[in-house]
Amino acid sequence: MDKHLIFYAMFIPSMILFFWGMWFRVSLYLRGTLKGSEETTQWGKLIILLGRGWQGFWKRPLWYLKIVITDVIFHKKLFRESFYRWLTHSLLVVGFVATFVVDMIKGFTTGYLVEWSHSIPLFSFAHVFKTGSIRPFLDFFLEFFSFLILIGCILAMIRRFFIRPDQLRTEEEDIVTLVFILYMVASGFFIEGYRIAHPEVAASRVYMADFTPASANNWISFFGYFLSLFLKNITINPHFLWYGHVIPCLVWFVYIPHSKLLHIFTSSVTVIADRANQKPHAM
Amino acid sequence: MDLSKLSPKQLLEIDACTRCGDCLRFCPVYSQRTEEAINPRGKIQAMKKFLRGQYGLWARVFGKKKLDEAELEKFSEMAYRCTLCGECSVQCPVSIDSRSLWLAFKEMLVELGHYPKNLGVMKKNVLAKYNISGDSNSSRTDWLDRFENLPPHRYQKDQAEVVYFVGCVSAYFPMAHKVPQSFLQILERSWVDFTLLGGEEWCCGFPLIGAGFKREIEGFIRHNIEGVKAKGARTVVFSCPSCYHTWQEHYHTDLNLFDSTQFVLNLIQKGKIRFQEERIKVTYHDPCDLGRQSGIYDAPRKILQSIPGVELVELAHHGEQSKCCGGGGLLEMVDPELSISLAREKIKEIEATGTNMVISACQQCTRTIQSTARRMKVPLKVMYITEFVLKHMQ
Repeated sequence: MDKHLIFYAMFIPSMILFFWGMWFRVSLYLRGTLKGSEETTQWGKLIILLGRGWQGFWKRPLWYLKIVITDVIFHKKLFRESFYRWLTHSLLVVGFVATFVVDMIKGFTTGYLVEWSHSIPLFSFAHVFKTGSIRPFLDFFLEFFSFLILIGCILAMIRRFFIRPDQLRTEEEDIVTLVFILYMVASGFFIEGYRIAHPEVAASRVYMADFTPASANNWISFFGYFLSLFLKNITINPHFLWYGHVIPCLVWFVYIPHSKLLHIFTSSVTVIADRANQKPHAM
Repeated sequence: MDLSKLSPKQLLEIDACTRCGDCLRFCPVYSQRTEEAINPRGKIQAMKKFLRGQYGLWARVFGKKKLDEAELEKFSEMAYRCTLCGECSVQCPVSIDSRSLWLAFKEMLVELGHYPKNLGVMKKNVLAKYNISGDSNSSRTDWLDRFENLPPHRYQKDQAEVVYFVGCVSAYFPMAHKVPQSFLQILERSWVDFTLLGGEEWCCGFPLIGAGFKREIEGFIRHNIEGVKAKGARTVVFSCPSCYHTWQEHYHTDLNLFDSTQFVLNLIQKGKIRFQEERIKVTYHDPCDLGRQSGIYDAPRKILQSIPGVELVELAHHGEQSKCCGGGGLLEMVDPELSISLAREKIKEIEATGTNMVISACQQCTRTIQSTARRMKVPLKVMYITEFVLKHMQ
């Protein structure tokens, strides 16, 4: 069966469950009292809050963008507190955000735009993303940012399981979260290494993406290539590897709203709200 | 469990806590009583557990879990052992406005009937007598009796430009009488057209808010605003940072509100107050409700720096990082021993500066530090800032 079909058959329900989970959380928040709109329905409250956020943003968009970069993504406050924690957090956040962005660009251009260019010539520029001069950059950055996640995750594990600062209390949820992340990144690199080590795997279209460009198979994809050097003599069912990576990734998405990973969204809101409402020193 | 006491943002904040534990390093209560449930993280996790039992996935499918009375009792015990200093809010890496959360938690606990009984007595006093002491509200200006040759109006004029809102602690606790006494003299010597509300001054509502009885304060707000407006005043000045903060936060008035430090600094800058020199080394303690809650850090320091010869030595923790003296958040009523142990830490910090005089701008802080210093037999001079200003006025 076509891998695209299989993927979307898993991806769409996963996304539905993810968004349902998010709504489950948000609907709990909306049970709270919104001053001045006490009698409003949950949807009404949501519209009011989104409206406030929208209006607030457009009053000073650049300021909000600055806050997102300095205080949410690069967590300025944490930097003042501890360089180690800041580095760990930044590697994870930057790694995830950037990997997501590069992956979206790569997927959209090399998949959809190239496909559409056959009927709409305007999109023919997308071929540079698939096989042209931009492709090595995409391959490199995807590799690089994923590698940052791996380093960030290892640093977080060292702190939680070996350094063990007094203030930290490790619960099941913390272990599950870190192991999940480590598994996703490690399995991603492993199947990449395996694919490079076994060119016939890519040729038989076990994976969805196009891996013909050299940059997908040499030192530009540095960590996968490095692993491939050790995987040449190992034979594993590549389909099994693909499922072993994709299914946990989708499960992870579904898990986000019910785990501490939800703070990706909630903490961003608290930080932005705090900066927006910060009182100046009165005198 | 009724969620109406929480806002959507507060419910989201409960989820935003990552249990990083940074708050543990700063919570003054936790530094004295190292119980997980008493620190900010512990309180948020306890609330999370209640919410999960009532509104989680499991509860939605199989029905709400009955609230465990013993767990609620424990939660209440922990939630009320908080000085509301707000340092956890400042230090939280994800900027959870935890102080507001504690207040909302207390409101929920009041609804559930789990709150310290002596706070119930305090509430009755405030609602019946309009002050926290339980004495008649007409004796609010008894502290004036120290003055000889009082004018016939006893500083309760029919009309004035400024109303001096004294606050319950300064009015009723003899140890704090020097606060209004000194400030009144400064106002008079600076030719400020001011009045007191006297028996018409009602509690600002802060003790009710701090204890979880926020819904009772509407009448107090209305009465106090009407009282000020009846005097034709446009400005209200406070010597109690908690009153000042409560007015700023809950009164939603167009009146001009000033803390005594802002007001005095203004008088200094206008040349209405001049000082005589004294070579003296002092330190300054930032009250939580004035600093962290109201953002006033500079005015008291500028006042001290404007007095010739005064050398200000900062405490190890000052400004936004100031440690609570233990006198805040009604802790003194709920757990006096804990309050004293916090004050002891504060006194040690003061002693470490090498000065033997501490100035503060809160009657509750000066009272707490002074009484604990006496108990510890530490020869520490504790002064409210207007006392210090008056002493150095020419």
